[in-house]
Amino acid sequence: MKKFFRSLLAKYMLIILMAIFLVQFAFIIIGTFFIGIESKFVSEDVPTATEIEEKWHKEANNLQSFSKAEISQHFAQWKKQYPDASMFWVDERGDLVETVDLKEELPQQWTAAFMAKFIKARYGGEPFTVIAFLGKDETNGFIVLELPRKEFQPPLQQASNDYALFVFMGMAVIILLFLFVSFMFFHNIRKRLLNLQASMTTRDVDGLPVQTAVKKYDEIGRLEQTFNEMIQELKEANEREKEEEQLRRELIANLSHDLRTPLTKMRAQIYSLSKENGLGEKQASIDMLEASIVDIDRLIENLMSYTLLIASRYKLEKKEVDVIRLVRECLATWYSVFEKEEFEIEVELQPFENNQWFVDPSWLGRIIDNLLQNVLRHARSGRYIQVKTESTERYDAFLFTDRGKGMQHVSNEKGAGIGLSIVDMMVKGMDLDWEISSTETGTSIKIMKYKKRV
Amino acid sequence: MMVHVLYIEDENEIGSWVKKDLKKRGYEVTWLTSGEGVEQYISTADLVILDVMLPGLDGFSIGKRIKNDNGNVPILMLSARTAIEDKIEGLGFADDYLTKPFHPDELAARVEVLLRRFQKNDELIEIGHLAVYPEDLRIINKKTEEEIQLTGKQYYLFQYFIRHLNQILTKEQLYEGVWGEAYIEGDKTLMVHIRYLREKLEENPAKPKIIETIRGIGYRVKL
Repeated sequence: MKKFFRSLLAKYMLIILMAIFLVQFAFIIIGTFFIGIESKFVSEDVPTATEIEEKWHKEANNLQSFSKAEISQHFAQWKKQYPDASMFWVDERGDLVETVDLKEELPQQWTAAFMAKFIKARYGGEPFTVIAFLGKDETNGFIVLELPRKEFQPPLQQASNDYALFVFMGMAVIILLFLFVSFMFFHNIRKRLLNLQASMTTRDVDGLPVQTAVKKYDEIGRLEQTFNEMIQELKEANEREKEEEQLRRELIANLSHDLRTPLTKMRAQIYSLSKENGLGEKQASIDMLEASIVDIDRLIENLMSYTLLIASRYKLEKKEVDVIRLVRECLATWYSVFEKEEFEIEVELQPFENNQWFVDPSWLGRIIDNLLQNVLRHARSGRYIQVKTESTERYDAFLFTDRGKGMQHVSNEKGAGIGLSIVDMMVKGMDLDWEISSTETGTSIKIMKYKKRV
Repeated sequence: MMVHVLYIEDENEIGSWVKKDLKKRGYEVTWLTSGEGVEQYISTADLVILDVMLPGLDGFSIGKRIKNDNGNVPILMLSARTAIEDKIEGLGFADDYLTKPFHPDELAARVEVLLRRFQKNDELIEIGHLAVYPEDLRIINKKTEEEIQLTGKQYYLFQYFIRHLNQILTKEQLYEGVWGEAYIEGDKTLMVHIRYLREKLEENPAKPKIIETIRGIGYRVKL
């Protein structure tokens, strides 16, 4: 039940109920108000125009003396009964003698022409005007009564004239209030959903979405909570995976270490042996042992890299790299080795249209190392290495050419080709391509980057 | 004075072999089997050779500590750990990283390079007809017995070559090493300075022997 009251559904139902109640309530209020007006006015007499006219004439005729005081008193009585009324007295000479609450400017001296104009203007018009002569004959001047015509309207119509605007505005306020509350309700929901969406699409440093703060425990709150729990689980899974990866790396590193330590010892012994004099034929065996150590070392290295590569654990960190520079620096380190082996070395590195390749420099270095190592091991007989750049419409490439006996020829030092498998994996891992063409007079390997088609 | 090498290695066989070999090459060697006692010898050491897998504190931690306290002592990591991560971590503070199994000649060569780079070696270097005193970079023409004077940038350029003896240096490496700015393709500054340097150093600047041009790659000063 508690859950229900926290829910959005409950809130929405409350808003609807309140809206219905408020509208009903407003109608009741309005209804009561009008009934009140009805009952208030129905009992009282609302005089008709004729009744007022007759009464005004009758009382004017019945006045005995026509002093200013008496007329004033007479006006005051009427004013009491009809607060909205205006009255004035014009005497037998046409002078405006007494006035009460005049709504317009009147002349002090009344002429026959003004009289005619006045009567013409007021006939059947607004305000309702009654003109009565004082006393029994027309020699004492006349008194005039002016009443707004709404005095004769029924009370309901009067009320609706006076209060319709308020009722209308009240209804508008109620409707606007309902709209506003509904808007706020949905706006709030929308905001929270957008927030949730934003945290789903924002990535933390670990590549997972960020957790979102749960402030309310309604439907969205529960969704947010579930979302957070999901991220937590993902994080834990990531953590586990990282730990496993770390363990695997450690294992491989330790294995490599443990294999190399005895190798180093063997080398120490062999080196000591080789320093002894008078070895004669044994020297050849020692040299072979020495060469085997180098081989095993290289094989261990390759095996480790291969295992890591296959498991995609070898970290690839691509960035914009000036490849010409990278290859040149690589060659600088290999140059003396080739020089020592009396190789003819040709280097022709011409800048490409774009020297920046998006690659991992350590991977590319590794590829070049592997290729040059292969030349040194399998194509030593050619005593020639050429590294040059090649640009066509389709691709930019580095070309490594030797004059060995080709790959079909079985070299004494041929391994299982694991070195080239590593090259293959790394080249493809960096979205590059490579080609080997090998004949009996040499091998040429091309590392290519295709140009984007415009 | 003999160059003092502090060598830390827990493996007995390898340790005694390396110590023997380095001694034979004319170095004074102190060999420790763990990080204990490093403080005692570090003040007199000219170079530290450090294994990674050691009992107690590992080589990385010891190396970092040494580098913190004695920044001008070069450290060479000597390890059977060949993973890129290990090398990167090692080279974060160490000056060189050599993997086992190594050839003693290679170790000796790398030690030489490091000593030269850190100018721990005050031995006279003879390059062709020149005699160079690395400490103050005094250059004597052995044939005429005259001292060769270099101007500012020439001096730094030659110093850079001497610190990287026998290494081939690309235009970019030289320019960035000496001028400390990124090299812009096509910039002729370096070539002009090399030409001036050759005019002073070479017997025949048209056929340079001291500063070799390695076609397509860069330059080298070889012993």
